[in-house]
Amino acid sequence: MNLSQFNRILRQVFLLPVIALLLMAVALYLQIRGANSTVNLIQESNARIAQVSRIEKLILNEESGLRGYENTSDNRFLQPYLAASSSLQAEFDRMQTLPGLDSVEKHYLDDLIEKHQLWQDAFALPVIATIRAGGQVRDVDLNLRGKIMMDDIRQDIADTTHNAEQRRSARIELWRRQVRQMEWFLLALALCVGISIGLFTLNRLHAVSSAYKTSLDVLGRRAEEIFQSEQELRTTLASIGDGVITCDAAGRVQMMNPVAVQLTGWTQAEAQGQPLEAIFHIVNEKTRDIVENPVAKVKRLNRIVGLANHTVLIRKDKTELNIADSGAPIRDRTDGIAGVVMVFRDITLERKTQDALLANEKLAVAGRLAATIAHEIHNPLDSVSNLLYLMRNGASKEESEQFMDMAEQELARVTQISRAMLGLYRESKAPVQVDLKEMLQEILLLMEHRFSDERVTIHTDLPSSVSVDAFPAELRQVFTNLIANAAEAAGPGGEVRVSITPRGPDAYSNGIKQEPGATVLIADNGAGIPDDVRPRLFQPFFTTKGERGTGLGLWVSRGIITKHGGSIELDSDTGHSTHGTVVSVFLATKPTINAGGD
Amino acid sequence: MTEQSHLVLCVDDELIGLKVRKILLERAGYRVLTAPDGSAGLDIFSREPVEAVVLDYSMPGMNGGEVATKMRLTKPHIPILLLSAYMGLSSEVLSTVDLYMTKGEGPPVLLQKLSSLLQPSSDA
Repeated sequence: MNLSQFNRILRQVFLLPVIALLLMAVALYLQIRGANSTVNLIQESNARIAQVSRIEKLILNEESGLRGYENTSDNRFLQPYLAASSSLQAEFDRMQTLPGLDSVEKHYLDDLIEKHQLWQDAFALPVIATIRAGGQVRDVDLNLRGKIMMDDIRQDIADTTHNAEQRRSARIELWRRQVRQMEWFLLALALCVGISIGLFTLNRLHAVSSAYKTSLDVLGRRAEEIFQSEQELRTTLASIGDGVITCDAAGRVQMMNPVAVQLTGWTQAEAQGQPLEAIFHIVNEKTRDIVENPVAKVKRLNRIVGLANHTVLIRKDKTELNIADSGAPIRDRTDGIAGVVMVFRDITLERKTQDALLANEKLAVAGRLAATIAHEIHNPLDSVSNLLYLMRNGASKEESEQFMDMAEQELARVTQISRAMLGLYRESKAPVQVDLKEMLQEILLLMEHRFSDERVTIHTDLPSSVSVDAFPAELRQVFTNLIANAAEAAGPGGEVRVSITPRGPDAYSNGIKQEPGATVLIADNGAGIPDDVRPRLFQPFFTTKGERGTGLGLWVSRGIITKHGGSIELDSDTGHSTHGTVVSVFLATKPTINAGGD
Repeated sequence: MTEQSHLVLCVDDELIGLKVRKILLERAGYRVLTAPDGSAGLDIFSREPVEAVVLDYSMPGMNGGEVATKMRLTKPHIPILLLSAYMGLSSEVLSTVDLYMTKGEGPPVLLQKLSSLLQPSSDA
């Protein structure tokens, strides 16, 4: 249930009693209006009854005044009669204008007025006139007539009063009936409204309560899920093999996982709220310069950043660790930077292993070269020692001269080989100018016998005076490796081509000025390298030569070329007639040597 | 040197070395045939009544080990002395020949080993 549904239910529950109350108010209003009109009718009836009684009293005064005058002939007794007579007409008029007069009452009133007029004209006025004339009115008939007339008048008055009283009673009875009906109606209405409000509210509240229960269940589940997820994240963070430090946007440490605690030597409590650089003190291994604070770097570049090579972490106890790390921004809702998370690991052992592997590969190359050299030297030495033996054991002068010539030839071979060897492992601290043609020729000379053993033909295209700045021993290692690989790939009867293509100082490619240097191409016409193998060639310990290879040759070669600011690329074709592999090595004439590149 | 009439076959691609070795062995009383590679050596080996073979290991085409294996197939009783400029040849190669020496060990060693191969009865 959503909020709008809930609001609708609230409105319904509120509206129902309001409608019920409105209905009751209408009923009560009608009832009050009925009561009002009833009261009005009763008041009108009362007014008419009072008026009739006033008229009756005046008529009574007339009659008794007249009777006194009749008996005494004294004018003073006539006074009440005269007073009543003069008022009566006004009272009759008033009676006729009273509200609520019905036709029956009107008829009674007209009849009364007429009869009173008749009584006055036919009885009262003649009696008064007779007495004033000094006569006596002792006539029984006349008086009896007067009495009958007066009785009629009295009857009319009584009828009028009775009629008004009747109407008043009927009205009161009607009112009582209406009140009783209204009582029942209100009772029924209250019951109906009460029950419907009860049922409706119950139903709605039930819906609300079940929706509320569902919401609570969902919230409960969510809370449980969030708790689980948080626990999982905590466990992940705690059990992750790398050190993790999170910082707020100002670069203050917020959290460290156990590995980070172990690597930095600072506890979480000590580190909390400290600036990152106080805990994570990193310098360049070689220059000892302070490395830029990763938090500042992430904020500056606004993206994930890796750490420079040869970074050393100085721990709390001042011991040092080689580390590799990266920093990543923690985004807030508006994609701003809410903080930075640092992930780093100890690569001291990795570095040592890598150094050991490189040394191992150097030894392997040296070993292979030593074997080649031994072969090249042992052959002439064998001849020389045989020749010396022959000379010592009774050779003629002519023979001896012939033997010495042969010995000289053989020794010249040894000298040539030893000269080629000279530069082989001369380590230099700084790059020196290396003549590529000279270097490649020396290498090919040393390997000459091997090529002839393997029946591999070598073709060269080596222009002179192509020099680059390099570490010669390392470069020689690369080319020896690559040429040996090519010869092995070419196989018996195959061909290897070694060439140098110089690139002048004014070379352009796609409008971009190219660095001057030279590309050494080493191509063989072997079977080629299958596509699935090619991507792995530069990985350490990957070899296609089984036990004969260390699997480090190309990996080390690439490391050396990268260190020399050059590039090494391999292109291979396994097609039926076009098969072969070309390795191209570009070296710049004046490269920027990456001192710590390996 | 009582058995100077033994016929020895020398196979080596180092031509100066081969020439000097031929002179040395002839001075020591052997008759010597030479071949500059494995296939020529096998050719002579099958044709001539060779009594011993001095074989270089490192040669273009067929190496000494392969040549020795083929010789064993046709005349397994002929002794073979393997020469090599390399140290440490595999035991698999060494098992196909009777004796082995490294080039540069000197003529006395060569002559001593060759003579021991041709006098099996006295060595046994």
